[in-house]
Amino acid sequence: MNRQHRVTVTSPQTRIAMAGRRGLPPGPVPRLAPEELAHARRIRRVQLRWAAMGLLGVLTLLAGLPLLLDLAPGLWQIRLAGVPVAWLAVAVLPYPVLAGLAFWQLRRAERAEDASSPGNEAER
Amino acid sequence: MSTSALIALAAIALVGVISAIIGSLGVRVARSTSDFLVASRTVGPLANASAISGEYLSAATLLGVAGLILREGADALWYAIAFTAGYLALLLFVAAPLRRSGAYTVPDFAEVRLGSSRLRRVCTLFVLLIGWLYLLPQLQGAGLTLTILTGLPGWIGVAGAGIVVVLTVIGGGMRSITFVQAFQYWLKLTSVAVPALIIGGLFLSDARTFDRPSAPQFPVDTSVRIRTDVVLQVGGPVTFNATGEVDGHEVEGQVHWEPGEHVIRAGSSLRFASGTEVPTPVGSPITDQEWLNPMSGSAPNQLLEIYSILIAGFLGTMGLPHVLVRFYTNPDGEAARRTTVLVIAMIGGLYLLVTQLGALSRLYTPQLLVTGQTDAAVLMMPTAALGAGWFGWMISGLVAAGVAAAFLATSSGLVVSLAGVLFTDVLTGRLRDFRFAAVLSSILPIVLALTVTRLDFALTVPLVFAVAASTFCPLLVLGIWWRGLTPAGAIAGVLVGGGLSAAAVAVSLFASVRPGLLGVLLLRPAAVTVPAAFLTMIVVSLLTRSGVPADVDRTLLRLHAPERLGLTASRFDARDDR
Repeated sequence: MNRQHRVTVTSPQTRIAMAGRRGLPPGPVPRLAPEELAHARRIRRVQLRWAAMGLLGVLTLLAGLPLLLDLAPGLWQIRLAGVPVAWLAVAVLPYPVLAGLAFWQLRRAERAEDASSPGNEAER
Repeated sequence: MSTSALIALAAIALVGVISAIIGSLGVRVARSTSDFLVASRTVGPLANASAISGEYLSAATLLGVAGLILREGADALWYAIAFTAGYLALLLFVAAPLRRSGAYTVPDFAEVRLGSSRLRRVCTLFVLLIGWLYLLPQLQGAGLTLTILTGLPGWIGVAGAGIVVVLTVIGGGMRSITFVQAFQYWLKLTSVAVPALIIGGLFLSDARTFDRPSAPQFPVDTSVRIRTDVVLQVGGPVTFNATGEVDGHEVEGQVHWEPGEHVIRAGSSLRFASGTEVPTPVGSPITDQEWLNPMSGSAPNQLLEIYSILIAGFLGTMGLPHVLVRFYTNPDGEAARRTTVLVIAMIGGLYLLVTQLGALSRLYTPQLLVTGQTDAAVLMMPTAALGAGWFGWMISGLVAAGVAAAFLATSSGLVVSLAGVLFTDVLTGRLRDFRFAAVLSSILPIVLALTVTRLDFALTVPLVFAVAASTFCPLLVLGIWWRGLTPAGAIAGVLVGGGLSAAAVAVSLFASVRPGLLGVLLLRPAAVTVPAAFLTMIVVSLLTRSGVPADVDRTLLRLHAPERLGLTASRFDARDDR
């Protein structure tokens, strides 16, 4: 067996966290060209906007559904293939809506990151 | 021991063995501490989503939601919605930025973002509190499962589950856990889907229906033993045979109940003839029609309760330590996001099946309404619906395997994340210490689970979510999106939210809570404690504006910039020797 050079083995995350905790400089300061910096800032703004839209969508569902069922008890009388619509609205409807919202949000977020990238492909 | 008990036991043992084999295959590749803690961050979206779903769908939520549906009907469906929607909140605000922060635990994130060691210690405290609170029902649920399926005493299940979990974690750490948990998700899905389809088919070919203005009926002659004192209610006159103390009188023989509330002491035995209307626990809907209707309850605070449940689940998921830690195993922020979307689909699909099982259990296992052990609904359904034959026993064994997988997945995930926190924050960082930390983090909950009386999952699980939502949700959301957050504000917010919700947990676990506005808020504190935590964090941060870290812009930029811009901590990977 060949002897190996001994090294400290820690996960990168632990290393960062520990470096910070011990008061050491937290690693190299990344330098960005001004247009890259502007690009990064723009991404954050766009992401926040889409996240807020997504939040609005999910709040409509989560806050609106109980309120709707509370205010419109007549919904219980309507049947769809023998099942009360009110039951379907709580037991089935939310899941496809949540999944759909999530997928839409994913597309938005990825598009925001891909859009107008200032030619950094070499970095990958 | 009966054949059905042996089959269930064999199925549970098989899950343990297969998990151990998958875990040990993972060990071969687990070499560095990075492997142990975050699977060297090479897990793809589908595998990681399976693992997250496997870990998140604990037996407590699986059995608890079905049991709650059996008792409360449509009003219980909000829990499943809240638990699923939690991942949407994660996706919207947390997943990708958190992954890009390069931090491993919430305390790590607090440190990276705000650079305060005091905040770090506060966070560590709450991670441990939440983790231990959540481990407790998991382990006790393992005991319940074993008792129901095999008749063995519950402590064997608690101790056995504890030992297997610790061994799995010590054996392979996060890397092997990832594959074990991914396997456990698919096993869980099968174990719920098969009985849901079979019993669902049975129901469709059956003449019975839920849509009746009367209480459910016992499908066959049923004997019930009451293990804890219960208060039951009946909507119409009911006659049955009883031995024991009923309504304050010793009885032996026929009992006739008029509509109203009735008390039965522990130790009584009741025998109901087939077709008798089932007495229901006081406070839950009596007739099937009320049960089917989402807003049937006459309680004035019902809307508040529902909103509180939704807030706790929606915002609490992101604060669960074992959920957060999994996102670090993704290679980058983009993968973290895709993982979350898959998780929502996977969890939603499983809850649809659980909902179906819970609803059908009203037809096949209504005696659980009398004993109060509604958490056992999923476990008892197969033999109740398919009869005590080989077919029923095999399906029952499959369910046992799925539930066992659920316990193991959630508990090992919790132990890994708690051990991770102990390892980085309390102990000094060497590989041997991680194993020690794993043992350390599971001893306390195992001892508690063996000594404390088991409470309904419906009570304990939402409380844990409420604590998580009132502490880490404001810290993560404001930390990721608001540059004005200061260490003092973060500490104050976490302490206010955590203190209030922990006090509510203590009161509702150890004292009896009266119905009414205060009672609802003690059992479901999120509607008050989450806004309180957010508000405190914002106000104190504004008052201590000088405390905003000097490098806040750079940190925030790093959280939100895609990896290819080269701002992220993945730069450090260049030095990672593997």
